[in-house]
Amino acid sequence: MKSNILFGRIALGVYFIIFFGYLIGPLVVMGFTAFNSAAFPSITPWQCFTYEWFGELLKDERILNGIKNSFIVGIGTVILSVSIGLAASLVLTQVWAKWRSTFYTIIIAPILIPGVVLGISTLVFWRQVSDMFGGVALLNNGIFLTIIGQSTFIASYCMLVFVARLQRFDTGLTEAALDLGATHTQAFRKVLLPFMRPAIASAAVLAFLASFENYNTTTFTFGSYPTLTIELSQMVRYGINPSISALAVIIVVITVFGALALEVYGRRKKVKAGEIKKSKSLPGWMFGNIATILLVALSFAVIAMVFTSQSYSPQQCKADYREARDIETRLKIEALQAARAAANAANGDTTEEAGTDAPAEQGGASGAFGGVFAPTNLEDAAGQSDGEDSGAAAPASPFGGVFAPTNLEGSAGQSSGEATPSAPATAFGGVFDPTNLEESSGTSGN
Amino acid sequence: MKKPMIFSEFFRNNGVVMGSILFFLVAFWIIFLILLPQISMLDYSLHPNPINLDAGERADEYTLKNYKYLIFGPEGSSDAFNKVDLMVFVRTIIAAMAVTIMNLFLCYPLAYFLAQSKGGGFVRLLVILLIVPYWINEILRAFALRIIFAPSENGLINGIMMKMGLIDQAYDFINTDIALYAGLGYAYILLMLFPMYNVIESLDRNQIEAARDMGASWTRIHRRVVIPHAKPGIASGMTMVFMLSAGALAAPQVLGGTSSLWFTQLVYQWFNDTLNWQQGAAYAIVLLVASIAIVLTFMKIFKVNMGDIGK
Amino acid sequence: MSSGVDVNLENIWIKFGDFVAVREANVNINGGDFFSFLGPSGCGKTTILRAVSGFLDPSEGRVLIGGNDMAGLGPNKRPTALIFQNLALFPLMKVWENITFSMEVKGATAGERRKRADELLDMIALSGQGDKFPSELSGGQKQRVAIARALCAEPDVLLLDEPLSALDLKLRQHMRSELREIQKRVGITFIYITHDQGEALTMSDSVAVMRAGIIDQIGDGHAVYDQPATPFVASFVGENNVFRGKVTAVNGDEATIASNRSGELVSKITPAAVGKLNVGDDAMMFVRPEMLQMGEGDAKSTISAKVINEEFEGNTYSIYLEGEGGKQIKMAMPNLGNDPHKAKGDMMSFNYNANNAVVMPAGDLASE
Repeated sequence: MKSNILFGRIALGVYFIIFFGYLIGPLVVMGFTAFNSAAFPSITPWQCFTYEWFGELLKDERILNGIKNSFIVGIGTVILSVSIGLAASLVLTQVWAKWRSTFYTIIIAPILIPGVVLGISTLVFWRQVSDMFGGVALLNNGIFLTIIGQSTFIASYCMLVFVARLQRFDTGLTEAALDLGATHTQAFRKVLLPFMRPAIASAAVLAFLASFENYNTTTFTFGSYPTLTIELSQMVRYGINPSISALAVIIVVITVFGALALEVYGRRKKVKAGEIKKSKSLPGWMFGNIATILLVALSFAVIAMVFTSQSYSPQQCKADYREARDIETRLKIEALQAARAAANAANGDTTEEAGTDAPAEQGGASGAFGGVFAPTNLEDAAGQSDGEDSGAAAPASPFGGVFAPTNLEGSAGQSSGEATPSAPATAFGGVFDPTNLEESSGTSGN
Repeated sequence: MKKPMIFSEFFRNNGVVMGSILFFLVAFWIIFLILLPQISMLDYSLHPNPINLDAGERADEYTLKNYKYLIFGPEGSSDAFNKVDLMVFVRTIIAAMAVTIMNLFLCYPLAYFLAQSKGGGFVRLLVILLIVPYWINEILRAFALRIIFAPSENGLINGIMMKMGLIDQAYDFINTDIALYAGLGYAYILLMLFPMYNVIESLDRNQIEAARDMGASWTRIHRRVVIPHAKPGIASGMTMVFMLSAGALAAPQVLGGTSSLWFTQLVYQWFNDTLNWQQGAAYAIVLLVASIAIVLTFMKIFKVNMGDIGK
Repeated sequence: MSSGVDVNLENIWIKFGDFVAVREANVNINGGDFFSFLGPSGCGKTTILRAVSGFLDPSEGRVLIGGNDMAGLGPNKRPTALIFQNLALFPLMKVWENITFSMEVKGATAGERRKRADELLDMIALSGQGDKFPSELSGGQKQRVAIARALCAEPDVLLLDEPLSALDLKLRQHMRSELREIQKRVGITFIYITHDQGEALTMSDSVAVMRAGIIDQIGDGHAVYDQPATPFVASFVGENNVFRGKVTAVNGDEATIASNRSGELVSKITPAAVGKLNVGDDAMMFVRPEMLQMGEGDAKSTISAKVINEEFEGNTYSIYLEGEGGKQIKMAMPNLGNDPHKAKGDMMSFNYNANNAVVMPAGDLASE
């Protein structure tokens, strides 16, 4: 009996490791590739530890443009699908029982329809509508089509979120408001909407994430406005360098940070509201701590990364690696006389690569990260900060202004105000602004 | 007679302004985003491509030739059937089913464990671990697997095995489709887990304890108590994973081999490479109808309602 | 404060599909009255209230408030305020915001609202509690906030949908008198829905007793209790003993029935049935437990039965006797210091005053 239980535990443990290994492992591997100097994203063979791919990434106009488009589409999709989802959930609660299942089937269907089908049907339909009115440009616009196409199914997700919340709503409250003289609009705004606010927030986050990562639908509708996902797919399919991994690292870090921060915040709120008694539920309380600890650890890791990126240079290692490679190649040449021609070609490749790498590294190693996370730099989209300032401030505030909401709004509003191409209207503010980088790299390099 | 009654009631309950807004939004969604585009796509698929019309064919007339093409191939070809495309179609459907079943077996134990443990800190941490990968781009997730499975020394598995001297030629995970199946399973595994988790969580623990008290073995408890209760969630999860796998595009594009295509890739080619939208629409319709028919058939066999989906 | 206005329901029918929730309701409520609808759950009383407040339109008939036809007016346009069964306080608003919500929607400033809220909080003895949230209040306090919120709208008619049902017994009894007090003070018409006959009788000027969509009787507490119009009212309002039988003689407002188990019994005909009872009809006679006394009286008002049980309830003794068809006859006697000491199985005789019993055509009883 006892050995049975022990066996069961071991089996469970092994299963957990396999499951979470499957889930998390690939992301960890991808994360490591961002720091390998090999030109193709890989861990094996490991060459040199480097930050250069972050620099590459931040110089890539197409990525930056993709991020901008993703944000525009994401915001449009959030607005459209949250309002549709809310309306549909309200209608669903009122539809006659006889019709309810039909109605539900129709509005749940977009979740089940393959994304490519949604993309195609959106494209085809609005093309026809546009032709009907003699070619209205808006209806063929990639942003418009993508928002429409994505909202078709994202609205269903939102609706599910709202239906879950509405089940706990007392319709008596709306009636009470009406009875006290409120109009239906007032009752909606003052009673139902405040109740739905948490659900609206989570639906909006869900909608934004779904929109941001959507590929299947967008690939048919994007027109001349490729989103980040589209750009990524092009890069993955036609030419890969590890700057994709660098982007993935940034996204993962932001995501994990957000998830942990949310957890800690939610925990605190609950403790405050007295929903959880701190002393009584020890595991829960400990988890609150785990989240906090992880949050702090993550912050420190990022600080350390940013800090080392100021001074670390993989030049020596790369030179060593190249030398080793050259020696290896030379040995090979000597050993395999027959394959001399082929070996020569390979040798030529590596030296050429080294040649192109060299100038980029100068900026990448010291500037790329140094400037990005400097808060002063973020606040000032023009990037007039000097190197000393940013270097000193970076450790104190690891993410700079990236996570400060006011800052985000500020820089987004600012950059949309001035229509300069160098300041993309994204929530990342000036983080990914290439001109910004150059500025700061020039000053912080000395 | 009945319709106006329902509408008047609706406006009475919601007021004219709110009622109109709600009605407009929902109608816009259902008509312009859901129904009309599908109808429009169907209409498209029944027309010939205006650029390369056959002799005597008019662009505005209805034809089944786009569908015939999928089955019989180009006119005048030597084969009786369009073997290549049909094989891709069958392979897509069967592989999507296999991925669905693989996900089911992989997720059931975890769903059960998460649902039946009392939601302590450890479980919450696990849930975060589960969700975080799904906030990351589908393309990037496929790409991460590509790094692992790359068919050269750059691939993690091949690199390690070659370094250890286990193999000296890189094993081609891509063209053997191993990477593709791993990627498809990876892409939608959460959509299998959470519906199951939700229904199992609603199962009264006492039922399990009662069954155990009466001497039922673990397998019997699952077969007679847990699985019947979890059926809607299992059906919901399987439906979503199957539909999404069959309709997946990112994973096949990133992880698929050059010789074996996924059906959505054919659709993609018709649209973006050949620019024959009519033909692409026909392929998309076939995919849509086939996958819905399969799901409905299985729902009928296992007696699951549409209302259970999405819970 | 405004003196109350009349509420008239004229031939109201309310149907949901094939289901008739309210059938031919005619009710005239005088201005300033405390009027109750009393009936078991599902009898349609809440439906009537919703028709008055405007949440639904009657399928037929008219609702008049202060003489004005309310047809087509939504709840936000009617001079009524409803206190919901679960109170429906807005959980995300503070108490003072709850109370003055009706002013907020009319565009009053925060200052005005604050002032009015303080006045009303004083009135309901919750001064200084305005900045709390409803979840921080006790049941009775929530109750009072709901009343204040409704009164703040200055309605001509206040509608109350079983507002006390969630409270415990002590609080409920206290709130009864408080409600009555408030009603007298503000002087507006109260329409009160309840299934608790004690509430209805203690508070109301007038009571309408409902059964399955039909109003059986409208009258003041005495009329409903002492002169029930139907067997349903007789058995629903208070405790009652029923004797079934055929009418053998009718003499003015008195009738004699041949009861199934106790021989001939004589009693008053209930006013609503005078002239409608004929010899040979199936009839029911009702005698309240407290109207029975021990010992033999007239032959036609004496019953004997076997004692089943005796209960001592402090102020009264209840004796249960074997009745007809498995039913028990209950007899209640004040505790005057002398224990009747009736052993189980003893035969016992008891009698009543024919003026204190009523007979009427047979009909449905309230289910227990």
